[in-house]
Amino acid sequence: MSDWVGVALFLVVGLVFGAGGLLTSFLIHPRSKNKYKLETYECGLPTEGPSWIRFKTQYFTYALMFVIFDVEVIYLYPWAVSFENLGFAGLVKMFIFIFILVLGLWYAWKEGALEWK
Amino acid sequence: MGTALNPSYFMVLSAALFAIGLYGALSRKNAIAVLISIEIMLTAVNINLVAINKFLTPEAFIGQIFAIFVITVAAAEVGLGLAIIIAIYRNRHTVDLDDFNWMKW
Amino acid sequence: MHFDFSLLTTELSMFILGLATFVLGLVVPSRSRRGIGAFALFGLLAVLGLTVLNWDQQGVLLNGMYLVDRYAMFFKILCLSTAILVIFGSLRYVNEHLGNHFEYYSTIVFATLGMMVIASAGDFISLYLGIELMTISFIILVAFRSQDGKSLEAGIKYLLQAGLSSAVILYGFSLIYAATGTIVILEVAHATLQGQASPLLIAGMVMLVAGLGFKVSAVPFHMWSPDVYEGAPTPVTAFLAVGSKAVSFAALLRLFVAGLAGVHQQWDILVAVLAALSMIIGNLVAIPQTNIKRLLAYSSIAQAGYLLVGLVTASPAGIKAVMFYSFLYVFATVGAFTVVAVVYNKIKSDEIADYAGLVQRAPLAAAVMLICLLSMAGIPPLAGFVGKFYLFSTVVSGYLWLVYLGLIMSMISVYYYLRVVLVMFRDDPKDPAPIEMGSAANITLIITMVATIFLGIYPNPLSEVANSAAISFFLK
Repeated sequence: MSDWVGVALFLVVGLVFGAGGLLTSFLIHPRSKNKYKLETYECGLPTEGPSWIRFKTQYFTYALMFVIFDVEVIYLYPWAVSFENLGFAGLVKMFIFIFILVLGLWYAWKEGALEWK
Repeated sequence: MGTALNPSYFMVLSAALFAIGLYGALSRKNAIAVLISIEIMLTAVNINLVAINKFLTPEAFIGQIFAIFVITVAAAEVGLGLAIIIAIYRNRHTVDLDDFNWMKW
Repeated sequence: MHFDFSLLTTELSMFILGLATFVLGLVVPSRSRRGIGAFALFGLLAVLGLTVLNWDQQGVLLNGMYLVDRYAMFFKILCLSTAILVIFGSLRYVNEHLGNHFEYYSTIVFATLGMMVIASAGDFISLYLGIELMTISFIILVAFRSQDGKSLEAGIKYLLQAGLSSAVILYGFSLIYAATGTIVILEVAHATLQGQASPLLIAGMVMLVAGLGFKVSAVPFHMWSPDVYEGAPTPVTAFLAVGSKAVSFAALLRLFVAGLAGVHQQWDILVAVLAALSMIIGNLVAIPQTNIKRLLAYSSIAQAGYLLVGLVTASPAGIKAVMFYSFLYVFATVGAFTVVAVVYNKIKSDEIADYAGLVQRAPLAAAVMLICLLSMAGIPPLAGFVGKFYLFSTVVSGYLWLVYLGLIMSMISVYYYLRVVLVMFRDDPKDPAPIEMGSAANITLIITMVATIFLGIYPNPLSEVANSAAISFFLK
């Protein structure tokens, strides 16, 4: 039964964490009621044009690059934890791994994925 | 940490997630929604792998290692998928699978 | 722990070749990139030579994670030969339709590396990584003509089905892991041979059949393959049809005949039904097709059905038959698709009607197409006949209905193959100008034709090689 205490604690902390932010801001935020408050964006300017506009695909290219290189870090942590056991061979292997990633970056650079046109 | 949790809870959770993902992958019309559904299926697999590792082979990290590989490969696949979807969108201005009908039965 | 790198000679050299092709492409200015195709080609030839030299290598790495035996070597040689024939036969097609891209060649090398890993994989992790390396490379290749909507559509369809089937296979792996407590195929074999078949194991097995059914495009998991075959650049289609299918069968054999031998009673009927469905649907739907690539796609679904027949009995004879058939399937398919590529180069069409009078415009191409199609139909004395004979003779006792079905369906397949042949030989061409093909394509066509005829008349050498490889499969 004691195992369920952990689960319950997890659940409670999760709920408090989520609800706490909303509740605190509800309690302490200043209240001012006017019609600009009800607009989509509170910039003081009326919205112009359709809200379904096209973003530059450059954003997506950057996001893709980020996703790919970001996930590879997952291999670095287990490697770092057992670094002392792996010794010099482990270092060499990790450098080979990074080298392959750098090749990918080089390719993306050469293809112009990093330029903001 | 000894545990009295039953492994079948994890198996049921993972089976449910897998079924939800499979349903989504087969029924959704939007290419990105299908990709997300496939990710849900892979998450189900990861839950299974890690839970079974904990209960069956706690001294070896087979399941965890497998899960790490699944995560990275899935990221590569999603990256490729989004790249192709962007290229299609530039070409045709749609990501709806029903519109991908240049080739017929 | 001692790690014997010499067992990985072929994979490591393949990996270095892929990286070298890639780096060379990055360094060399784009005008002088013509040589990269030749560089990759010679590199592949060298690796093929190395693999043949290492034929007798035997060993197990990392407690069964990676197996090096003749069985794996056989499929490695098969994949390398396919890659070489595909690159050599379509140098001109690639230059004209895909542009001068070094990525094309390095991606082919990496796809081949993935296939080699699948052939040698001894546990679920290496098998999964091999499958994904191959699949991701193929997605890039299928969607390579990024200006062409059809190619992109084929790419996204292939990606979605590949992701789905990978997820299903992985779920099967996790269930088998839950049932047996191990992911090494040989240990799974020990566990299943001793224990009773648990529901978890059966569920995992069904998942594996479904997932790998996608990969070999067996009915009812075949829906993607005609679209992908039609939309992909033709050399890629050939590579996909041969290489990816053959190694998926290698994985199927390794998983089912070696790993799940203990529950053979549970999966043999499942595989038999898949085989029967693939033969029926593949052959019947091929009849009304008007596009040659779609016709070949449906015919390749039917071929997957024939190959599955060899799996049903889980016997050495069946394994040998699958290996023999997949090797001759290389030549028949690459030959047919090379003809499609050279004809497309000239007339910019894949419609069967546009093949009218091909014999007057390009006699060699028409002859190769004839021989390859007849071999796929299983007409003696061509190689396909011998292959089908080996496959179906394994199931004569016990599954006689499969043999009859295979015979009937082969006869039906003759009908649609001959329809193409009639158009090529009987009809008059719209434009009688001869199609000039280039010497590389000519040599490839002659190689495939000679191999198909030779293996039909004199199958013994390949048969013995396949036999010894099949025996090594069981020596564990």
